Amino acid sequence: MLSRSAERLYWLARYLERTENIARLVSVHMNLLMDLPKGVEMGWRQLILISASEQEFYEKNNVANERNITRFLLADASHSGSLFSSLSAARENIRTSRELLPDEAWEQVNEMYLFAKNNLETVVNRRQRVLFLNEILKGCQRFTGLLSGYMSHNHPYRFILLGRNIERADMTSRILDLASLLLSESRSDEMRQYETILWMNVLKALNALLMYRQQIRSRVKGDDVLNFLLLDANLPRSVGCCIAEMSLCISKLPNNDGLPLKLAELDAYVQDIDTRQTTQDQLRSILDGLQNKLGELHSQIADNWFLTATEE
Amino acid sequence: MKSIWKNYKTESAYDELMFSEFQSRAVSHKLCQYLNSLKKEDIDKRKIAAELAIMEMGISFTVYSDEGNIDRAWPFDIIPRIIDGREWRIIEKGLKQRLTALNCFISDVYGEQAFINAGKMPGEIINSSKNFRKECIGIKPRHNVWANICGTDLVRDKDGIMYVLEDNLRVPSGVSYMMENRVITKRVFPELLQDIDILPIDDYPTHLHDMLLSIAPHQDGQVTCVVLTPGIYNSAYFEHAYLAQQIGAKLVEGSDLVVNDDDCVYMRTIQGLEKVDVIYRRIDDDFLDPEVFRKDSTLGVRGLMRAWKAGNVALANAPGAGVADDKVVYAYVPEMIRFFLNEEPILPNVPTYLCSNKEDLAYVLEHLAELVVKPANESGGYGMLVGPHATAKEVAHFREIIQKDPRNYIAQPTLAISTAPTLCKGKLEPRHIDLRPFILQGENTYVTAGGLTRVALKKGSLIVNSSQGGGSKDTWVINMEED
Repeated sequence: MLSRSAERLYWLARYLERTENIARLVSVHMNLLMDLPKGVEMGWRQLILISASEQEFYEKNNVANERNITRFLLADASHSGSLFSSLSAARENIRTSRELLPDEAWEQVNEMYLFAKNNLETVVNRRQRVLFLNEILKGCQRFTGLLSGYMSHNHPYRFILLGRNIERADMTSRILDLASLLLSESRSDEMRQYETILWMNVLKALNALLMYRQQIRSRVKGDDVLNFLLLDANLPRSVGCCIAEMSLCISKLPNNDGLPLKLAELDAYVQDIDTRQTTQDQLRSILDGLQNKLGELHSQIADNWFLTATEE
Repeated sequence: MKSIWKNYKTESAYDELMFSEFQSRAVSHKLCQYLNSLKKEDIDKRKIAAELAIMEMGISFTVYSDEGNIDRAWPFDIIPRIIDGREWRIIEKGLKQRLTALNCFISDVYGEQAFINAGKMPGEIINSSKNFRKECIGIKPRHNVWANICGTDLVRDKDGIMYVLEDNLRVPSGVSYMMENRVITKRVFPELLQDIDILPIDDYPTHLHDMLLSIAPHQDGQVTCVVLTPGIYNSAYFEHAYLAQQIGAKLVEGSDLVVNDDDCVYMRTIQGLEKVDVIYRRIDDDFLDPEVFRKDSTLGVRGLMRAWKAGNVALANAPGAGVADDKVVYAYVPEMIRFFLNEEPILPNVPTYLCSNKEDLAYVLEHLAELVVKPANESGGYGMLVGPHATAKEVAHFREIIQKDPRNYIAQPTLAISTAPTLCKGKLEPRHIDLRPFILQGENTYVTAGGLTRVALKKGSLIVNSSQGGGSKDTWVINMEED
């Protein structure tokens, strides 16, 4: 498999995962805000905190309101972290890797891109935004499903899995980062009153509510949620599960020097976290550390396999 | 006939489907019957469905402009062009004959030059050809075939005869559009394809793959083929990716390949370097190898010519094959067929005046306003003068540039090239078309059933190139029942 192709498929998967994550995040957040009373210290601004794009947002907008933030996160083609930019980048990567994937994979991404492009303006309207996000979520799932059913689970497939899981782990850690803010001692009484709803929404953002109920069987509590999302071995969006998936891929790829060790270290780091024993500040710094380690993992993957690294 | 045919004019050129506004030809009888059974809204719906399919399948080509490169949807007309199977069998034979002769000629040019030595062609034409590559002298590609993939443009004049307009032997494109056009037609007119006996075209990739395997430097064990593209910004990138996917080859760019000290070509993979045996290259000679051709080329592969000359890799088409893709050389193809094959040409050339020839030049300068003038080595319909449609200023400009460089210009009578009904704003109107069949030659020779029909969508226009407002149609070769 060409190094160039490996790199493109890896990024294709990362960008599609990012597209899906942004869609789910905005969608869940919208639901959450409908449940909360006005005046609670939870608003649209949290969404730009999570993606670390506050500065860029305020360069373009004055007010952090629903309209501006959803437009910025979903439709702004000049913001590289927006849903539309991620989807466009995914399309560019698949357009240049068509020979490795079933036809339907390209058509699926292209269709989704055309849909998004033609409906960008609708995202400011709440009702139409719901339809828009649903369509994107469905499209991403169709893509995942058809690759799993139509494509040989070969090296190209493994690079897709790698990209998807590293992006997923990163996103989960960011959502947990935001959630850890909710543990803050300075939170208002009113906020404490709605805590369960908040935690349920964190679970929903990662499609994990049902699985949590089945696994934990007690009322939804912050510590348990954090533990579940970090460590559960079976939940596809838990950080631990993403690491396990990546380990499996890497063990089957050639020329994986250094990577199994790196993943083992990462796994040990995650397994060591005990959310019941940490303060909110400690947790935030642990999650920061996790994100840095994922960044290092990416560099090592690029060094081992991608063209940028093999060129003189 | 119903209103979609109203005022359908067939007098000025041969129409492929219609005798007149009221009468269809035998080959198009069923199609016309079917079209007439549809309501106008139905036809519009099919057109919209086709456009949607094109968008979703992402069939596009890139247009270069000052505002940057734009990926445009492929302009497609849903009304197919139809060719009688009996006529097609003759054309197919003629195309095989022609490519065989052309390959004999190229081998001869880089070999003993018997054709020139026999006085059949002035040697000066070859020596002054910018596509003649002296680096290729003495090389013998497998099966003595240099042009493995050829796209030959055919047009039908008012007399009903199909003429060869040009042979594209460098990197002909369009075959993916030919195939996708059929896919779209199957989606848009499924009922119709059931009823009519149309020759299939989707075996092209199989034949392309077989041909590429047949030219591999070694014939034992696994052969690794790649498609070499100039990259994602090339106007035909869609096609490069499409073909690579269809034949299960890797799509590579120059920077993916490297030639090592052993003069073998390798690609950079996740496992390290992997040897490459056959390269279907979609890069012009000029950019192929900065070691030999253009030094500033970043698209090619340093040392590729070394590897090819050493016989360690096959290139399709072979470097230097473009020497026969020259509109001056074109004029000599009938003579090549007689000389190398000892046969009479099956397909006629368009009468051609060579400006390098004094008498021809005088005639051309005197009749500029009636003729089509073409540069010898351009493609894509650029740099042409269509006399009857040109302004006095354009004619004067050509008068000047032809005299400056007569070797590089040819002229041909302006043909009344044939038309076919084309859907224009809900009505059928005649539009000029050509046909580009694709011919493969390696161990065997294969011709696509039909080819890519290109249509000049602008009323009265004779220019069918997609970069200049042309579109395309599905092309049906039909076996008639009485056969």
